[in-house]
Amino acid sequence: MSSFTKSAQQWATFARSWYLIDARMQPPGKIATMCAIRLQGKHKPIYHALSDVGDHVVVMNSRHIAFSGNKWEQKMYSSHTQYPGGFKQVTATQLHSKDPKAIVKLAVYGMLPRNLSRRTMMQRLHLFPEDDLPEDILLNLTEELPQPREIPRRLNEYSQEEREAFPTLWTPPEDYRRK
Amino acid sequence: MAARCVLGSIWTSLSGVKSMASSSNMSVFQSITNYPQLSVFGIIQSRGIRQVVEKKEGKTTIIEGLTQDTLAGPQPPNPTAQCPIYQWNLQNKYNYTDVLLLSQFIRSDGGMLPRRVTGLCAQEHRKIAICVQMAHRAGLLPDHKPPLPEGHVPKKPKPQLNRYLTRWSIDSVKPIYRAGLKWCKNRISVGHPALRNNVQYGKKILYLKH
Repeated sequence: MSSFTKSAQQWATFARSWYLIDARMQPPGKIATMCAIRLQGKHKPIYHALSDVGDHVVVMNSRHIAFSGNKWEQKMYSSHTQYPGGFKQVTATQLHSKDPKAIVKLAVYGMLPRNLSRRTMMQRLHLFPEDDLPEDILLNLTEELPQPREIPRRLNEYSQEEREAFPTLWTPPEDYRRK
Repeated sequence: MAARCVLGSIWTSLSGVKSMASSSNMSVFQSITNYPQLSVFGIIQSRGIRQVVEKKEGKTTIIEGLTQDTLAGPQPPNPTAQCPIYQWNLQNKYNYTDVLLLSQFIRSDGGMLPRRVTGLCAQEHRKIAICVQMAHRAGLLPDHKPPLPEGHVPKKPKPQLNRYLTRWSIDSVKPIYRAGLKWCKNRISVGHPALRNNVQYGKKILYLKH
């Protein structure tokens, strides 16, 4: 802004911010794209790949992510131990039960550019399975990002007035007994 | 004894009191207003509900089930159509998240009501059944679970995983071991092709294969 001093303006443009994302009931892919953009610094007009302008991103509730479709059963994560016969394939459910942070971590890792700065960017990504964050990270947070997916409401979360306001579409026949 | 026989004959002569017969046998000489157990949502326009009224004329007691006047709710904008969805112009506009709509077509244990009762046409009945399935798998209908037998102890605690738009049943799906290359990938299906014609209000297209 024009009313700031030059030093304040310089600090505001080049400072590294800390973003918070709540991954509850969110698809991990969409969370990962938001993280990858901010870890690279692509949300800033001063971006350059060599300038190391990426920010920190904190993802909480990574245990409560939601996959669309049957991905929990169908999606496979593969790895190889480099030994013969060491090809391992694990479903998303099994991987999530072993390590609740792994799915989001692998998703972000695959979305970052394949160069040496990927490792430093992954060090700036902080994943937490639940919503209890340590003190020092809570003090650093600057902004919470909006969730990408709108969480649908359950039937018991609708109030009685809303349920009554919704019109009934059909009337049952006279001799029908509702079970 | 004699009074019960008289009452029995009066009962059979009156129409539509069969539903009250089983419940009203115990307390005969009390005025009862019995309502069958309604599910979670409120008062429905059901012509099956009757108000039991007792009248005493000397030695005879008449217990009658009077039909309640149906509440005049909002009228559908297109009453000439056959199917309730078309009457309210909701075709291609509902999804698995519209639980208030879907809950009108399900029983208390989560199953669908028959088409001859609801009056839905075949295609819409199928679409609603698909949306109800997806809503159950997403956990949006927590009170419509089937009753478990008493003393049922689950063997292993199932992992509580959040999911949405699940087309196939959880136990029936096998993992994709060899997904293939980008041009011939074995894709994972999301949502259902029956809901392909749904109105999209944003610019994004509906992807059925991820």
